[in-house]
Amino acid sequence: MILEVNGLEAGYGVSTVLHGIDLAVQEGEGVVVLGPNGHGKTTLLRTISGLNRPRAGSLRFDGVDVTGWRADQIAEAGLVHIPQGDLLFREMTVEDNLLMGAYVKPTWGERQERLARVYELLPTLKDRRKQLANSLSGGERRMVAIGRGLMAEARLLMVDEPSLGLAPVIIAQVYERIQAIKESGLAVLLADENADHIEQLADRVVLLESGLFVREGPAETLLADEALLSAYLG
Amino acid sequence: MTTTPNRPTTQIDERAAPWRKPKWGAVVFLTIVALLMPWVLLQFGGGSFVVHMLIMFFLWSIVAQSWNLVLGVSGIYSFAQLALFAVGGWTTGVLSMSLGWNPWLSLAVAPVAATVAAIVIGLPSLRLRGVYVVLLTLAFHELLRNYAINGPEIISGGGYGLIGVPRLPTGGLFDGNHILLSYYSGLVVFIIATWAIWRIFHSPIGVAFAALRDSEGYAIGRGINQFRIKLFLFGFSAFFTGLAGGMMTHYLGSVSPSIFAFSVLINVLAMIVIGGWGSFGGPILGAALLLGLQEALRDLSDYRTLGIGLALALMAVVAPQGVWPLLRDRVARFLAEDEPKKSAGDVAGEEPENEGATDRSGSSAGGGVVESTPGH
Amino acid sequence: MNDLVQVVWSGILSGSVYGLMAIGLTLIWGAVRLLNLAHGSLYVAGAYAGWTVINVAGLPLALAIPSAVLAAAALGLVMHALFLRPMLGRPGWDSASIIATVGIGIALQAAALLMFGPRVKQIPAVAPGSFVVGTVRFSYQGLVVIAVAVVALTLLYLFLRSSRQGMAIRAVSQEMDASALMGVPVERTYALVMMISAGLAGLAGVLLSSIFFLSPTSGFTPMIIALLVTIFGGLGSVKGTIVAAYLIGFFEAAVQVFVGPRFALPGLFLFMIAVLIVRPNGLYGVPEAQRL
Repeated sequence: MILEVNGLEAGYGVSTVLHGIDLAVQEGEGVVVLGPNGHGKTTLLRTISGLNRPRAGSLRFDGVDVTGWRADQIAEAGLVHIPQGDLLFREMTVEDNLLMGAYVKPTWGERQERLARVYELLPTLKDRRKQLANSLSGGERRMVAIGRGLMAEARLLMVDEPSLGLAPVIIAQVYERIQAIKESGLAVLLADENADHIEQLADRVVLLESGLFVREGPAETLLADEALLSAYLG
Repeated sequence: MTTTPNRPTTQIDERAAPWRKPKWGAVVFLTIVALLMPWVLLQFGGGSFVVHMLIMFFLWSIVAQSWNLVLGVSGIYSFAQLALFAVGGWTTGVLSMSLGWNPWLSLAVAPVAATVAAIVIGLPSLRLRGVYVVLLTLAFHELLRNYAINGPEIISGGGYGLIGVPRLPTGGLFDGNHILLSYYSGLVVFIIATWAIWRIFHSPIGVAFAALRDSEGYAIGRGINQFRIKLFLFGFSAFFTGLAGGMMTHYLGSVSPSIFAFSVLINVLAMIVIGGWGSFGGPILGAALLLGLQEALRDLSDYRTLGIGLALALMAVVAPQGVWPLLRDRVARFLAEDEPKKSAGDVAGEEPENEGATDRSGSSAGGGVVESTPGH
Repeated sequence: MNDLVQVVWSGILSGSVYGLMAIGLTLIWGAVRLLNLAHGSLYVAGAYAGWTVINVAGLPLALAIPSAVLAAAALGLVMHALFLRPMLGRPGWDSASIIATVGIGIALQAAALLMFGPRVKQIPAVAPGSFVVGTVRFSYQGLVVIAVAVVALTLLYLFLRSSRQGMAIRAVSQEMDASALMGVPVERTYALVMMISAGLAGLAGVLLSSIFFLSPTSGFTPMIIALLVTIFGGLGSVKGTIVAAYLIGFFEAAVQVFVGPRFALPGLFLFMIAVLIVRPNGLYGVPEAQRL
């Protein structure tokens, strides 16, 4: 078990967004959290990665209780979170952005090898390596965000809505990359608004509504149930 | 921020319009106390010192209140307040001393000069972001300080400032006692300034600014043109600050570059912060506290500055809302009648808004009657 | 010709020192959105630390410079731990942090007054003496100041550009959440920025106090000019700040030589207003809307 979430509650100010989430991700597994916008997907991922503080419940990552850890500590433990909106370092070059992905001590020593590997995987980034991140197109930014995540020594990759704001052609490419990462053996936890692109990727699917998991099951069964999906995702 | 939407009555709801009727007893009492105070005090030895402290309180609390209006309410991070105070002080000083004007006439020019100076600084800087205002106003302060020391003899007095500025002529009143004259004129200006600031606090402008204070981005997003309002408030606060500066010059009979010392600036800032940043009563309370403290710790002068500096920093960390909230309810209860039909559910924290309230109570000597804009 | 040489010499000399002061301010602003109005007091603290090492401890001058840097950096760390860290992320940060730094600044100034008295002091020059070319007098100390400043700025630039911690500082100032997701300990990085910034102020203090006099309040004017430089260069931009430091150094020197020393500060002030009207975000500044 790479990730175990038990009874997780979180929110902002006086409002509670997550009302007790239980979730487990196995090594090498692909889990997709589906749900409409504003129902807590981003909050869930942010709470798991430590950007938000959980109000209740517990988080275990890779066998260690990480409840209440800071985001940088959880990241150091090997959880890679590609956040919504990419959050690139806008006034840094593509290459510097990628290098930041290898910030954690042991990986920093191997940053050049890792950089070469990421360039191999995402060749477009190599052409743009001296460009500032804020001069890139939306698709290129997403690729930088993914590449930055790949620079780390990941045990679990979390991706928040990889298709957000991208053109259809590029969306397909993005999912292809994530698919490839998953096939290399890394566990992936992905949050998405619709089920269009996740068939290949998902072993298991959870439906999130109003901060609660309402359905959970193997991808084949859940994704086949068109009526269910359209009822929840519209 | 306007009247509660779920209450469709056209009549003014007594609870929604929280200006309360003043307790006339309290107002009359305070007025009589304020009027008789110096006569009584002067009967005792050392009483004239208390009168002196009260004059200081009137003048400095005007400065603190005006600065708070700029700093705490409209979020203009201006550090020019003492420079504006000095503009007022020097204007009347130079006019009456070097040019021989009647001090009353030259005193009338002081607030105008300060307002003009404020507009001159405000026009280029208030459109810009907060940090720029800090810089430009500090630079203005530093420039004036240099000018006051190195400027022409008629202004700098060779670096010592103006000494021997004529007092305000009493015109035969108060048996020619200029301290009493300063006391009563200070009291009148204090009441007018406090009343005017109270009105601003409870005007739509004041309420809106209190809400927008920490979110310039939000205000811009809402398309609110803050510039004109900011410029108005900046000029307004300069007016009373310049007037206070002018009165101080005539009262003390001198004005010197020491007014630009950082320790003076910090003292006034401490009045605002310790009293209650952004709240109406905070600076008044703070002025009283700081002036008292200053007297009590007179022997410790350098340690005092050290202490005030640390206190400022600590307040910002520990109690950014200041001391005023602790006293607010008590002061309000003393000065105003209890709110009618206050339901049990109305906790102190959710006092309603005050805009558009016809003011029937602002002339009380203690200043404001209710306070509903909490500092943060 | 001599005038021009004088302008270039003074411009480079003051530009170097302004650069040291301003870079610290801009780093802090970039990382934490803090306008550190205690910066001038950190300058003074560094200078007094250097003075103490020489005149009280009787140690050689070469030790005074590192001690000044360390003392100021330590103060910066204390300032961070006691005052800034508890306020981080609270609403009202803008105003509260300005008040806190004003308070700390005045407290440090008062402490310096209590410890060292109001009389001005001077730190002896590392390299006394001077040489004259034409009518312009070049002091060896001036050359030392320029050399130290240029080396410090270059090291800082390299540190920020390619070291792990330096890149983390840039990352934190641009995107805090993402930095944390990369494993950057954000608060510790703030503390580091604060120490570097304060250390540079201390360095400027000890260097400049061998040319000018040192008193508890002598940090104020350098701080004001550093603020000018920072804003002129575009808040938060390291490159812009360095360029602006030398530009303002030259401008000031030119006004001093061609118009008169009394007009240097007013001239700068007017120049600043003009620049801000034309380019409200400074030379290299990014509009704030884009930063958000």
